[in-house]
Amino acid sequence: MIRSWKLWVLLAVVAASCCLPLLVQNDYQMQVVFRIALFAALGLAWNLVGGYAGQLSLGHVAFFGVGAYGLALFTSHSVPKWISIFLAAIVAVIFAEIIGRIVFRLRGPYFTLATIAFAEVLRLTATNLKITEGAIGLPTPALFTGPSFWRLFYFSAVALAVIAFLVNGWVSRSRFGYYLMAIREDEETASAVGIDTPRYKLRSLLISAFLTALGGALYGSAFQYIVPDNVLTIDVSLQIAIITMLGGAGTLLGPVVGAVLLMSASELFKNQFQESHLLIYGILIVVVVLFLPEGIMGGLQQLFRWRKKPETARAAS
Amino acid sequence: MVDFLQACINGLLTGALYALIGMGLALIFGVMRIVNFAHGAFLMVGMYTSWVLFDKLKINPYIGFLAAGVFLFFFGYLVYLLLIQPIRDRSDFMQILMTTGIALILVDGVQLKFGADYHQTNIELVNRTLRFGPFAVNAAYLLSFAIAAVCIVSLRSFVVRSRTGQALRAIAQNREVAPLMGINVTRIQGLSFALGIAVAGVAGGLLLPALYLFPTVGDDYTLKAFVIVVLGGMGSIEGAAFGGLVLGVAESLTSFYIGNQWALIVDFVLFLLVLSLKPSGIFGRQRA
Repeated sequence: MIRSWKLWVLLAVVAASCCLPLLVQNDYQMQVVFRIALFAALGLAWNLVGGYAGQLSLGHVAFFGVGAYGLALFTSHSVPKWISIFLAAIVAVIFAEIIGRIVFRLRGPYFTLATIAFAEVLRLTATNLKITEGAIGLPTPALFTGPSFWRLFYFSAVALAVIAFLVNGWVSRSRFGYYLMAIREDEETASAVGIDTPRYKLRSLLISAFLTALGGALYGSAFQYIVPDNVLTIDVSLQIAIITMLGGAGTLLGPVVGAVLLMSASELFKNQFQESHLLIYGILIVVVVLFLPEGIMGGLQQLFRWRKKPETARAAS
Repeated sequence: MVDFLQACINGLLTGALYALIGMGLALIFGVMRIVNFAHGAFLMVGMYTSWVLFDKLKINPYIGFLAAGVFLFFFGYLVYLLLIQPIRDRSDFMQILMTTGIALILVDGVQLKFGADYHQTNIELVNRTLRFGPFAVNAAYLLSFAIAAVCIVSLRSFVVRSRTGQALRAIAQNREVAPLMGINVTRIQGLSFALGIAVAGVAGGLLLPALYLFPTVGDDYTLKAFVIVVLGGMGSIEGAAFGGLVLGVAESLTSFYIGNQWALIVDFVLFLLVLSLKPSGIFGRQRA
């Protein structure tokens, strides 16, 4: 179970994000907060694999893209759009099963490279196949219409983030989560003490892929048009990973903090530097790796523990 | 048959440049164990260096590539001292993130400075074709091939014969014992990182006449470089040279028989196949 203060934090964050639309004046700002909520959800989904299991996947855009393309393709074959979303997510899980079986046999840089390679294969395939209309792209159905369009999308993204948060909360306290963390700390030892490491790594990827695909479908539906260079580009994988690393991989609140900070920073920079807005990502990564390897929440946690230590030592004596 | 051989020849011509790119990464990743996800970005910087010289000073790219190599050598050494050396003993995870960050800074920095426009260097040599019997060879590609071949041979003999090369291989064999033998690990590792980057810069300069230039041009080459190193077997710079040639021919045959747009997919499929079936590479032996 999630410890009680974490539940309060969750409730506070949810309450705050429900009040947020009251402060937002126009569609543009609403779209920005939608993106923040969506990337918080994606970061939380990535956190299962990249944070708890410690497997640096830079191919999560594959699931994101499958979600978006799945929604577009299923609805174009006259499947109702709400069912299409879940079908797309299930397809993404099947992809994750196939990809996972291959990439989880690899370690370190080879794992990361293989995840990138898979995502790139999907991007190139989508660019070259007839069914996906190649580089021209596909229209995606809007899940909501009317004047409160962005507001409804925003609330769906918040809902997805809450689900992803609850999954993270469950994982961080469950036996499954402890297995993942054991794998992150030392995979050899983990498997030596009897943890079926490939199975648990794969399971974390399946859950993560499902959530990521839902996020991708939401994104595709909100912008109503998808092209491979938008929903299958490695930039999205990087964004997701960086958000989580900046906030603190393997922490509950990290991805949320990271999404709020990074997405608002990149929105400010977009006006300043136009197409070069990824510069801020680069600089932030370098700073985080050099000075804050545990991320913001990880750093705070360490500070907290460090403060606490003398007291417990005193209590023990 | 003539078509097939022609495709192979074209593949070998690009393959020599791939070999060069792969050897640079083999030096950094295979030998020094630094996971460099910015290799393609450095290659792109090499291309821009050569292009700026051509654009501003009218220096032929076939001379400018040398300047690109020298510039990137010092640039690479600086990057190593400032950003790589502090994290060299941390996990792969951190090295991947760091070099990805460096790549983003380089690509978007160049974009900020030079814009996202496409550039081309129109030199006369690119339009000249040499005929050998039934085969046609582009003169610029042939020149690039010849220069790349010279670089490959000299790089190999540097690593195998020179004292610095010996120190480099000593570190690769045992990082703990090498400093006890009086080897300055930071200096040698920085040197080989810089050398690998310089080689990428040279390859960039040699690619310039053949390609359109834009800030993200190098992105594909990062993955390609890893594909080449994995194909050739980790830690073997000769293997990387073979890997580069194999990749060049594989790409050329795919574009000829299936279609240009599928060539890149073949790279990745080849990569995934080699990784999952024979992780030690086609030419490599198993390493501990």
